[in-house]
Amino acid sequence: MSLPPGLPAIGAVSFAPPRGRRAVLSNGLTVHLMKDATLPVVHLTAFIRAGKMHDPAGRTGLGELTARLLRDGGTANYTPEDMDRRLELLAASVDSNMGVEEGRADLTALTRDLDAALDIYADMLMRPVFDPEKVKSKIAESLEVLRRRNDDPGRASVREALRAFYGAGHPYGWRSEPATLRAITREDLQACHADHYRPGNIILAAAGDFGTEEEMLSRLEDKFGGWKGGPAEFRPIPPVTIPAGRRVVHIQKDAQQASIVLVLKGLRRHDPLEYPLTVANEILGGGLSSRLASEIRSRRGLAYTVYSYSAKKPDRGYTLGFCGTAPNTAGRATEELLRQFALMAAAEPGAEETALARDAIVNSFVFRFPTAFDLIAERAAFEYYGYPADYLDGYAANISAVGPAEVLAASRRLLDPADALLLVIGDAAKFDRPLSDFGPVTEQAED
Amino acid sequence: MPIPPQYPPVAARRLSNGLQVLVLEKKFVPTVSFALVFKAGNVDNTPGKTGLAHLFEHMAFKGTTSLNSAGYAAEKPALDRVEAAGQALIAEESSANPDPAAVEQLRAALDEAEAAADAFIVEDEYWKLYSTLGESGLNAMTSADYTAYVVSLPAPRLEAWMVIEADRFKNPVLREFYRERSVVMEERRMGESEPGRVLWEALLAKAFTAHPYRNPTIGWMEDIRRLSRTDAEEFYRTYYVPNNATLAVVGDVEPERVFALAEKHFSGWQARPLPSRERPVEPPQAGERRAEVIFKAQPSLRLGFHNPGPDHPDFYALMMACEVLSSGKTGRFYANLVEGRQLALYASAYTSFPGSRYPSLCVISAAPKAPHTTEQLDAALMEEIERLQAEPPAAWEMEKILNNYDAEMVKQLESNSGMAMSLAQNEQLLGDWRYDWQTGERLRAVTPAQVSAAAAKYFSRDNRTAVFLKEPAV
Repeated sequence: MSLPPGLPAIGAVSFAPPRGRRAVLSNGLTVHLMKDATLPVVHLTAFIRAGKMHDPAGRTGLGELTARLLRDGGTANYTPEDMDRRLELLAASVDSNMGVEEGRADLTALTRDLDAALDIYADMLMRPVFDPEKVKSKIAESLEVLRRRNDDPGRASVREALRAFYGAGHPYGWRSEPATLRAITREDLQACHADHYRPGNIILAAAGDFGTEEEMLSRLEDKFGGWKGGPAEFRPIPPVTIPAGRRVVHIQKDAQQASIVLVLKGLRRHDPLEYPLTVANEILGGGLSSRLASEIRSRRGLAYTVYSYSAKKPDRGYTLGFCGTAPNTAGRATEELLRQFALMAAAEPGAEETALARDAIVNSFVFRFPTAFDLIAERAAFEYYGYPADYLDGYAANISAVGPAEVLAASRRLLDPADALLLVIGDAAKFDRPLSDFGPVTEQAED
Repeated sequence: MPIPPQYPPVAARRLSNGLQVLVLEKKFVPTVSFALVFKAGNVDNTPGKTGLAHLFEHMAFKGTTSLNSAGYAAEKPALDRVEAAGQALIAEESSANPDPAAVEQLRAALDEAEAAADAFIVEDEYWKLYSTLGESGLNAMTSADYTAYVVSLPAPRLEAWMVIEADRFKNPVLREFYRERSVVMEERRMGESEPGRVLWEALLAKAFTAHPYRNPTIGWMEDIRRLSRTDAEEFYRTYYVPNNATLAVVGDVEPERVFALAEKHFSGWQARPLPSRERPVEPPQAGERRAEVIFKAQPSLRLGFHNPGPDHPDFYALMMACEVLSSGKTGRFYANLVEGRQLALYASAYTSFPGSRYPSLCVISAAPKAPHTTEQLDAALMEEIERLQAEPPAAWEMEKILNNYDAEMVKQLESNSGMAMSLAQNEQLLGDWRYDWQTGERLRAVTPAQVSAAAAKYFSRDNRTAVFLKEPAV
């Protein structure tokens, strides 16, 4: 790199994230705390061991509906209207969501209103009532969201690619359907709540201007201490099976842009290969100087959006590459996308390119914790996902140890596109090359 | 109880060349966020060149006479040949009867000239330099009103930022222009695939007849196709001057050191007089306008009502009206139309779109829940508006809005990058970095009767543009 004149020497950046305080309440609820009196605000987030992947077969959407009805379906002490009105008058927010692998419940309040807002938050977690009218209206709302799920082809392509990759019946790939939503009853929601929202099944993180840590702990003990229940039990997730060989799925749609997605098998969570894979992704598709952006966007002008990333799963994660391009360049863009993945698996990256990727990750590590709350929420997340307590503290050193040979070894195992699934949404009549050039094509109707 | 505005301790200094610098010192982690905002947006493009401000923004990542170049003296003639080839292609494509064979030949000539210029390029060096520094959120955004360049860095990189960005805006070289123009065309195509963006574009084009707020910031495709590097250089010379910019720096830095470094590195950047900012005045709307967009997606709608702009005292009563309608789950749209009658999936109101430098639109965005139609939803939205016109909002509704505004003022200080952006934007476009806090005071002064009066005056049928997304008939 030829640096501009006058640029100061670029030294390494080191940042040791503060620990925070970990405690367990008398009922088994785990708490991470960090006092931060910068502003008169308090944030809380709870990780609830639950997730869309644990929905019962035939009831996909149950976890998500449960989480949303916690917030909107009323509690023992607050009607839905009462809860909304009180929170909004305090300018506080309480939210509840369900991810694939985690339930979350969040609270933000000004310090002066913390006790009033926390009372609502705790009631929501412990004593939701699932008002029958609200249950009906939330199901209707979810059905409307389903009706609209293909309106944006870019987003639909990523969802459908993962669904095709894992199989429509596998919990990592499935989606809610009108029939599975209509099958959900109030009793299902109550059972889902009782099974998962239990103190022994929750890790809570809090940061902000809440007084001393002892004061905050006794406040939480006071709100949650009488709540009982141990860890949840789960049915095992069926093993992931990925067929060998290239698969191509095409969804016909007359859109202005073709959406092209490549999915490859990824990592089991906690596999130490994550470090070289992270560096490999930074090189391949991590930013605007990555290979994908450089070759497909900047040099050829074929795309505005092009990237890759890897996601970990308990069993088998994935790596995903995406590119949006005009229909008449879909073939060229697909070919280049595949070529760049193949190159990663074929040869070591240069020493300078590897160093650049490492620096980008290590030197920006500090941005994972822009606030005390972000930091303590990360600590809680890593405990939730079963990482060792010093995972964050060793992260930068583990990335720094990755060299070109490690990147190649990881790429050979995980980035070779021979077994990749390719999914394209677009108007095949306008493509510059038939998709069959890239493998046997399955046509799938948009639905 | 009225609370006096609590301004954060922002230090301000104007450099000798006119560049305004704002610094807010904040410590938790050793990072610093930068926002450099130019009053140079889509409204500043000359007619027929929509999208130019945005395309220049892309070009500002392509390096300088030293960065991204293997030797500018040798590169320059090659870049000039690219530009000649680019302009020849534009001329043929824009002629009354373009000859397909000639277009093909000219396109091949452009490709060849670009390939020849590649020999002098150090690819993506600007991006790589920032990666090494440990950037987070390196980006830029263009709107109708402005262009902003943002990045966050570890705090010890303060001077590195000064060196790189001073060079970037003093000595830019717009290499790889025609390829980047293709990237922008793909960005436009991406927008053309998203029903929401298509509707917003249709609303602006219908509601404005004279003012450039009618144009999409990305540009019309036929305009983008005709933009040349020379156009972009002209735009740069006109608007990228220090007296047209504000820099905000927020994070673990000392204000005096920031001022000293800014003076050291940016003072060689020459101020120049700016052209007039007068734009065609939008004539008063005389009667409702309606349009349908046929698009393969579920139905939705956008409504627009001309607002008087933030300099007009009614503006703040109108802001309150929008908040009464759509703030939170107790807002009237959500409480009555999403819950309540259950005919909307979502419904929201916003006071000022697509910008604030000139009078713009108060907009409503909504989608029906089947089996309800856009027509039914439109009628229900207008009923809510009519009720607000007739009856002033309740005291608790006003109190809720003010409480939330005050809390937002506290919470926005949590994010260095968000704070940097809002300080720079308010200073450069609205004349004072304290604008958000002053707005809080203005909102507090609005009475319930003024809210209803503003709703009556601006949410009128004659002032209304309605755009509906419909699926094609099978």
